[in-house]
Amino acid sequence: MKDTLAILHRLSAHPESRCWYVAWHPLGALLASCGGDRAVRIWGKEGDDWVCKCALSDGHQRTVRKVAWSPCGHYLASASFDATTCIWKMTNDDFECLTVLEGHENEVKCVAWASSGHLLATCSRDKSVWIWEVDEEDEYECVSVVNSHTQDVKHVVWHPTQELLASASYDNKVCIYKEEDDDWECRATLEGHTSTVWSLSFDPEGQRLASCSDDRTVKIWKECTSGEDEDSTDGAWKCVCTLSGFHGRTVYDVSWCHLTGALATACGDDGVRVFKEDAAADPRHPAFYLSAHVPKAHNQDVNCVAWHPKEAGLLATCSDNGEIAIWNYQSDA
Amino acid sequence: MNIISSVVSKVFQFYGPSNKNNVERTTKMEEKALEVYDVIRTIRDPEKPNTLEELDVVTEKCVEVQELGDDEYLIIIKFSPTVPHCSLATLIGLCLQVKLQRCLPFKHKLEIYIAEGTHSTEEDINKQINDKERVAAAMENPNLREIVEQCVTEPDD
Amino acid sequence: MASNFSGVLQLTDLDDFITPSQECVKPLKLDNKQGRSVAKIQIEDDGNYFQVNQDGQMHKLEKARITLNDCLACSGCITSAESILISQQSHEELYRVLRQNKVMPSHNIEQKVVVVSLSPQSRASLAARYGLSSSDAARRLTAFFKNLGVHYVFDTGFSRAFSLLESQREFLERFSRKEEDKKSLPMLASACPGWICYAEKTHGDFILPYISTTRSPQQMMGSLVKRFFSMQQALEPQKIYHVTVMPCYDKKLEASRPDFYLRESETREVDCVITSGEVLKMLEEEGVSLNYVNPAPLDTMFNNMCDEELLCHAGSGSGGYLHHVYTHAAKQLFGVEVQEITYKTLRNKDFQEVTLEKDGVVLLRFAATYGFRNIQNLVQKLKRGKSLYHFVEVMACPSGCLNGGGQLKPVADQSNKELLQQVDELYRAERVSAPEGDARVVELYRSWLEGMGEEQAQQLLHTQYHAVEKSTSGLTIKW
Repeated sequence: MKDTLAILHRLSAHPESRCWYVAWHPLGALLASCGGDRAVRIWGKEGDDWVCKCALSDGHQRTVRKVAWSPCGHYLASASFDATTCIWKMTNDDFECLTVLEGHENEVKCVAWASSGHLLATCSRDKSVWIWEVDEEDEYECVSVVNSHTQDVKHVVWHPTQELLASASYDNKVCIYKEEDDDWECRATLEGHTSTVWSLSFDPEGQRLASCSDDRTVKIWKECTSGEDEDSTDGAWKCVCTLSGFHGRTVYDVSWCHLTGALATACGDDGVRVFKEDAAADPRHPAFYLSAHVPKAHNQDVNCVAWHPKEAGLLATCSDNGEIAIWNYQSDA
Repeated sequence: MNIISSVVSKVFQFYGPSNKNNVERTTKMEEKALEVYDVIRTIRDPEKPNTLEELDVVTEKCVEVQELGDDEYLIIIKFSPTVPHCSLATLIGLCLQVKLQRCLPFKHKLEIYIAEGTHSTEEDINKQINDKERVAAAMENPNLREIVEQCVTEPDD
Repeated sequence: MASNFSGVLQLTDLDDFITPSQECVKPLKLDNKQGRSVAKIQIEDDGNYFQVNQDGQMHKLEKARITLNDCLACSGCITSAESILISQQSHEELYRVLRQNKVMPSHNIEQKVVVVSLSPQSRASLAARYGLSSSDAARRLTAFFKNLGVHYVFDTGFSRAFSLLESQREFLERFSRKEEDKKSLPMLASACPGWICYAEKTHGDFILPYISTTRSPQQMMGSLVKRFFSMQQALEPQKIYHVTVMPCYDKKLEASRPDFYLRESETREVDCVITSGEVLKMLEEEGVSLNYVNPAPLDTMFNNMCDEELLCHAGSGSGGYLHHVYTHAAKQLFGVEVQEITYKTLRNKDFQEVTLEKDGVVLLRFAATYGFRNIQNLVQKLKRGKSLYHFVEVMACPSGCLNGGGQLKPVADQSNKELLQQVDELYRAERVSAPEGDARVVELYRSWLEGMGEEQAQQLLHTQYHAVEKSTSGLTIKW
């Protein structure tokens, strides 16, 4: 491994608690984090240091599990174990809670904005995935509730350009949803993992989806397009690669860098890993190799990996010990 | 410590005196296991006045420790719930998780399972009690938290 | 086990699919013989549980039996309720009662008069399968049931007239006190049991005051059969076995509500609910095709009919509550004769709005809100005080009752949409009747209800709702 992952900064972001998730602002100047202390924190760079610009601690009654910036960068959504999702509006450096989305029966595990910014998806332990529509007056209405999973839904992610949604669940499956008539429905179910699927990430073009699991593997799925495979139908997804043997414990998160194509993972063995795709491999059978690995990236489970949207190689991670780390990944290849 | 010495002598019988490193490591793991056991044996059953040790839900043998790295250990606990179909099994699992997280002085990763053949929905329960997100959320439920606190608090605290 | 309940009910199910004997959250009362009993429990290969005492003695443990009422009173799960319902309210139960009737008919004290009440949506669903008209299907189903030993076959379209009339009265009454009572409007329709169950479990005391107390057609028929018909026939209510045929599994839950149990005679107003699909199963089990059953004349007592043809009510396939209440409110409150109602589709086809305007001012704003997603938006609007509606016809199923979970599934090569359209056409092919125009309904109001005083009449035509308390015992919480 000539490629390196070098530590740049380490922040005690949610001290005495877990840091569950971090999300880069689309322009890259801010980083939002959330955790077991029920707070969302906004980090920005001052000189060489990352400092906390703002703490949003009055929005939720319980753990804040995920945060997501709207594509325009003016809104932040936070999903919490208190069964609600808050929408925050950013004006200058100030945040105001615009609305609280209620309806899930229990813990909301994830929230994600579609690329258009008009749709929002949430998922929960109540086994449902909800799709919300945002109108010009910042009013949110539920456009669909889909019950395709049989268990706790852990993660939702939108396709980078299309209105296509993917969800990952405790039932070991991944579901892909599209709008049909005037309702959303599950168009494909991706089976292959043997335990909870914790997170998902689309590749830069949206042709492939990476999933990571409690079964300690990462799988790469590809949408079948007609003509390519005789026995596959449009809209079906096929597992084209499984990364196994690399991770020592549960893989909690996976992130596909939209600038470099590198794939980073967050693991319960405290390690952060970066995989690169073998350019010489047959595109129908892609191959990935471990390009960089920091075994003790944090001193507890790593929960999240997030590539910077503008600066290639910049990676943020966070951990059960409440810490955020910012890394620089360099590759010779 | 009678128990330790008897364990040590058993270990010696097994490996023989020549394999000194292995013996040392095994002894160390046995000690760690006892340390873990000492934390969990006094947890009270959520329904009964007895401790998990008194009810044979946990025994010394149910704790296994492996070395993961420098001063970091993998702890595997296999407990036997008293009633096979009870939802209390998940609650006992929760108590084990919480107490070890709070009380163990060394760095560790934890895996908790139900001893084989003791429960009708073993796999489901094992999956639930090892899902740290579910455990974290459960501990934020005030009613669940109250029960777990009662079970894991030492009587003389 | 796949659940048959409407999506709304499934969503409130916090549990995984379980059977009650296995993992019911209701703590069982155990006889504690000793203060400190230490025993282990072992599962044998056959699934039986044995307790092993310290001295090694084994004895078999009883499986816990939980009644339907335990399930319904508990907020734990819905799937357990379902497996209980399957055993207590099924076509098998109907067969059992019919078999029992055949044993020594003259001396059998268990002998029951069996009444089947068919819903208009069910007859449309079965009519679509056999290529019949709705009325024709009803006549053939009447023959089919009577051949099995059923004594009377009625039509819940008849009892629906009472639901529509009572809804209309209740609306006017609520409208008149809308200034003093902020929770009098919007009035939310109450015919859908999936919606009621969801409201009671999830939104409790906040939402219940808005819900119309008017009984659903099924439970109106329950009153008619067990209180009026029994009296008229000089039968004790428990001597009548009343079965309804419904487009919906959730109706089984409704029939089982304690509010519809006659304590003094220890009987339910509706003893058993079977779905349209279960009737198909009965036909198949009997090896009978409706096409080859000779039609029988309809029972005249409780059928909404005219010259041997069944009638329907105007408006939606879910009972036409919006239509009826709107038309009458427009006339009685504002003197407007509504000729035709224009539905405006809002966010999707299952959210429609109707407004009555005069000189640019909205006088009445009604909506039909079907399916869970639209119910969500309605409830959230109410919570934020942003609802502008006076009345909402709420149904748990997308597309309403014609698309109920108990209806027949599409046959091969048929899409659900095509089938639904066919069923809708058959349902609407029946001639429309006005509930207030049915002379027998008017007569029943006069002879039966007026005679007994307002309070009792209210009991027979209305019901109550009860917020389900959230379980706070840590021992029963599913996490």
